[in-house]
Formats: sequence, C-alpha cells, structure tokens
Amino acid sequence: MQKQSGMRKRTRVQALIGMGYIAPSFILMMTFNVIPIFLSIYYSFTKFNMVSAPSWIGLENYQKLFTNKALGDALHNTLIYVLITVPAQTILALIIAAFLAEHLKNRFGSLLRSTIFIPVIVSLIASATVWNIMYEPKGGLINQFLGLFGAGPVNFLGSKVNALPSVAAVAIWKNTGYYMVIYYAGIMGVSSEIREAAVVDGAGSFQRFWYITLPVLQPITYMIVTLGIIGSFQVFDLVYKMTGGGPGRSTYTIAYMIYSYAFQDKRIGYACALAVCLLIVILLIHAVQTLCFKERD
Amino acid sequence: MKQKVTPFVVLGTVLITLFAILCLTPLIYMIAVSFTDSESLYISISDLRFSFDNFVYAIVKRNFGRALVNSIITVVGSCLLVDIASSMAAYGFEKKPVPGKEVLFQGYLATMMIPGQVVLIPMFVMINRAGLTNTYAALILPMVGAFGIFLMRQFMVGVPNELLEAAEIDGCGEVRRFVTIVIPLVQPALITLTIFTFNAAWNNFLWPLIINTRSDMHVLPVTMATLSSNSTTNYGMVMAGATLTFLFPFILYVFLQSSSWRASPSAA
Repeated sequence: MQKQSGMRKRTRVQALIGMGYIAPSFILMMTFNVIPIFLSIYYSFTKFNMVSAPSWIGLENYQKLFTNKALGDALHNTLIYVLITVPAQTILALIIAAFLAEHLKNRFGSLLRSTIFIPVIVSLIASATVWNIMYEPKGGLINQFLGLFGAGPVNFLGSKVNALPSVAAVAIWKNTGYYMVIYYAGIMGVSSEIREAAVVDGAGSFQRFWYITLPVLQPITYMIVTLGIIGSFQVFDLVYKMTGGGPGRSTYTIAYMIYSYAFQDKRIGYACALAVCLLIVILLIHAVQTLCFKERD
Repeated sequence: MKQKVTPFVVLGTVLITLFAILCLTPLIYMIAVSFTDSESLYISISDLRFSFDNFVYAIVKRNFGRALVNSIITVVGSCLLVDIASSMAAYGFEKKPVPGKEVLFQGYLATMMIPGQVVLIPMFVMINRAGLTNTYAALILPMVGAFGIFLMRQFMVGVPNELLEAAEIDGCGEVRRFVTIVIPLVQPALITLTIFTFNAAWNNFLWPLIINTRSDMHVLPVTMATLSSNSTTNYGMVMAGATLTFLFPFILYVFLQSSSWRASPSAA
C-alpha cells in the first residue's frame, strides 16, 4: 500500500516536471499558432480597422467577398500558379533524383546535387530582385541571350500574358533542388538489394524506374505534392517584389490580396474572411488528396 | 553495381549539367553585377572591377549595415529559442507521464497545415496591443512551431530510458540529466533544427515587413525589398545587397557540405 502511493506520488511529480518542460513552447504555440486561428474566424464576422474595437456584422464580409470581382481573379491566378509550379518542380525533381541515384553515383553526381540545391538557400526577396533585373526588357540577361539568336526582346513582367508564368519560373528554379534532395534520400532508402535483383532479372533502366522506384516513392510524392500545393497557394514574396500583383490584376494572388486588404487598407475583418476562405480551400485540398491516395492503395 | 556508359547516360548527364548551370547563372550574374560600377545592364567583362564600392555604398548609405546586424541578432535569437524550447517540449512529451499529452501533440501537428496568412493578422493585432512592434522579440518569439517539436521528438524516442533511470539512481538531478545526457544524445537533430531555423529566420519576409516598420529595425529581405522601389537604376548596388543577403546562408551551406563530406568519405 505504502509503496503504491509512493509510486503514484512519484508519477504525479514526474507529470508536473513534464509540464514544466512543455510549458515554454506551449505558451508560445498557443499565443502564435492556436489562438490566432480562432481570432481570425472571430474577426471575419466583424468590422475592424485596428483603431476602434471590432463590431459584429455577421456574414457581411463573406457576402461582400463573393461579389468582389478581384477574388475571382486572385483565385484563378493562384490556381494557375499552382498548376504551373507543382507539376514542374515535382517531375523535374523526380527525374533528376532518379537519374543521379541510378547512373551518377560519383563525385560529379554529388557536385551536381549540391549545385542544384543552391537556389534553395537564396531568400525569395533576393531571388526576386535578381530575376527582376534578368527579366528587364532592355538589356536584361535573358533578353541579351535571346538577342544572340535575333529573338525578342520579350517583355516578361510587363505583359499580362507573360507575368504569371515568369513569376512561376522563379519558383520552379528555387524549389526543384529542395524536392530533388528529398527524392534522392528516398531513392537511396529503397534497398539497393531490390534494385540489384531487378538488374539481375534483366529489368531495364526505365522498367526499374517505373515498376520499382516510382511505387516505392509514393509516400514521398504525396508529401512533396502536398507541401508544394500548400506552399504555392501562399505565394507572396515573389509577387510582392516582382510585380506587385500587376500588370492589371494578372499576378494578383490570394495571399497578396489578404496582405493588401489587411495592411494597406486596414480592413482587418474583411481580410480575415479572406484568410478563412484560404484555410477552407487548403483543408479541402488536403482532404481530397488524402482520399485519393487512400483509394489507390 | 558497375555503371555502364550508354548514350542515354551521356545525354542525361549533359542535360542535368545544363540544368545545374541554369541554377547557378542568376547567382553568378548577381555577383558579377555587384562588382561593376555600370549603371547600364549591358555589362561586359571589362566593366568588372574588384572594388567593393557597391557593397560599401549599400552598407553605409542604404541601411544594409543595420539590417545585417538585425538579421544576425534575429537569427541567433531564433535558433537559441527554438532549439531550447523544442528540445524541452520533446523531452516532456516523450519521457514524462503528462496527462493528455498525445492529444496536445496531435493538435500541434494539425497547426502545421494552417497557412501563415490565417494567423498573421491576429498576431499583428496582438503584438501591436502588447507594444512589441519594432522589437527583436516580435521577430523571434513566433519562430517556435510544431515542426521543431515534432522533429526533436522523433529523436527523443532513441534516448534509452534505462540510461536516464541509471543516472537518477546515481543521484543525477532532473536538470542535469536533461542537459548532460539527453541534449548530447539528440545533437544531430539539434543541428538539423538549427539549419532549418536559420533559413526560416534569415529569409522571413512578410512578418518582419508588417511588424517592424521602423527602418532601424528592418532585416535584410525587408531592406532589400524597399531598396529598388526608390532607386531603380543603380543595379550594382542592388545586386550587392542581394549578394550580402545570400552570403551568410551560403557560407553555412558550404561549411556543412564540406563537413558532411569529411564525415562520410564513402559517399562516392
């Protein structure tokens, strides 16, 4: 009896000590990650400009939102942007990683890997600055290059048609290396015995890729596509620095729209309604993806 | 496995090498322009001069010096805070019988799916109310997140309970056990977390842009962004700023690459 209560007391003390360890990050997580979600939902039902207290207006923000033509444009541009960047960066990363892991397992291969990763460490704002100058219609590096073949000059960021793909190209340049490294680690994790057995069985390079590497990599692909979609949906830095949403509204994205309503127009409630919509869209994508990948198993 | 040289392998190698060159070109261009004093973009090799005029100008006249200091303070503070808070939390979650801890942990993981813009606006309102705008605390405190706690917990699993119990019997106190036994055992994970935090804090843009509006509290990407809106033609100076922003993560990257190279000579 005595011993048991001693044990219980010990457990209680240990639990208290445990809470002590968890407490600092708990306070920060609650303050900056959890409570703001609920505050955002609350603000989305209010009229709030940071100066006076928020006043409850029910669904008015959402009603206004759905009649706002800019939202349609922002949604359209964001989707196009996701549809350009995610497949391109995922497929490029997969092909490069598979090739390097299969055929270039030497010093040159690892040099290529390190090199392709370098754009990942460049900040988005610095990338945008450099590419802005490279895209210059008069004398930018790319138009100088095109000029060698008598082509161009192309107006990359100033034209409504070219602006969004030009911004997306920078994202692909920056992201491919990151996903390539994840894929590479995944392929190296596929036991080399399996692959060697396939070689012995006479499976060619493409067959091995299609029937062994690709199926084994499915969980990684799932993660990479999810990360890619969520990341691309929130594109802000590149748009802010490269085009400011223009020309017209041709690169106006949801994240940029939230920023301009909240911090330029100080319409906090309205911006929060928009943010809640973004949250719902991302959760929906996540749910659909989970279902799709479950079904295929 | 012996590697055969087929036309397919040659073609693939050439294409990937071209892609790698494409990856580097903007950065080489950036560094090249930062060393010219040309205000036109038609630069030739003869315009290149190894003077640091553009860098000096950016640092002294364009606030890059102050921004560099701010960035370094923010990054160091963020790495320390995230490392300490995450490893403490991970230890509590993995090794202590805290009631309801699994539910809380799942809740933490769910926050990783929330897009930044959703929490940004209320965070801005709260930091404003607390009077913490234009402080380092405003930049550092929100860096703690579920990712770090998750990562550290993965490694805490590998810390043997027997070792902790043996140390306790030997009279090693709670805090000493954590600092002298647990922390050294999870060191590889701490290094990974430090790299991630370094990158996140160094490249963070939107939050510092809205919360620290005074120019003496700007960090590098914010200074970078405000720069070219008011001076569009001085390309050399703009590129010098971009080079400065790129330099520190790059040094860290090269350092880690070379040390991992030494650690695993069998990689070839």
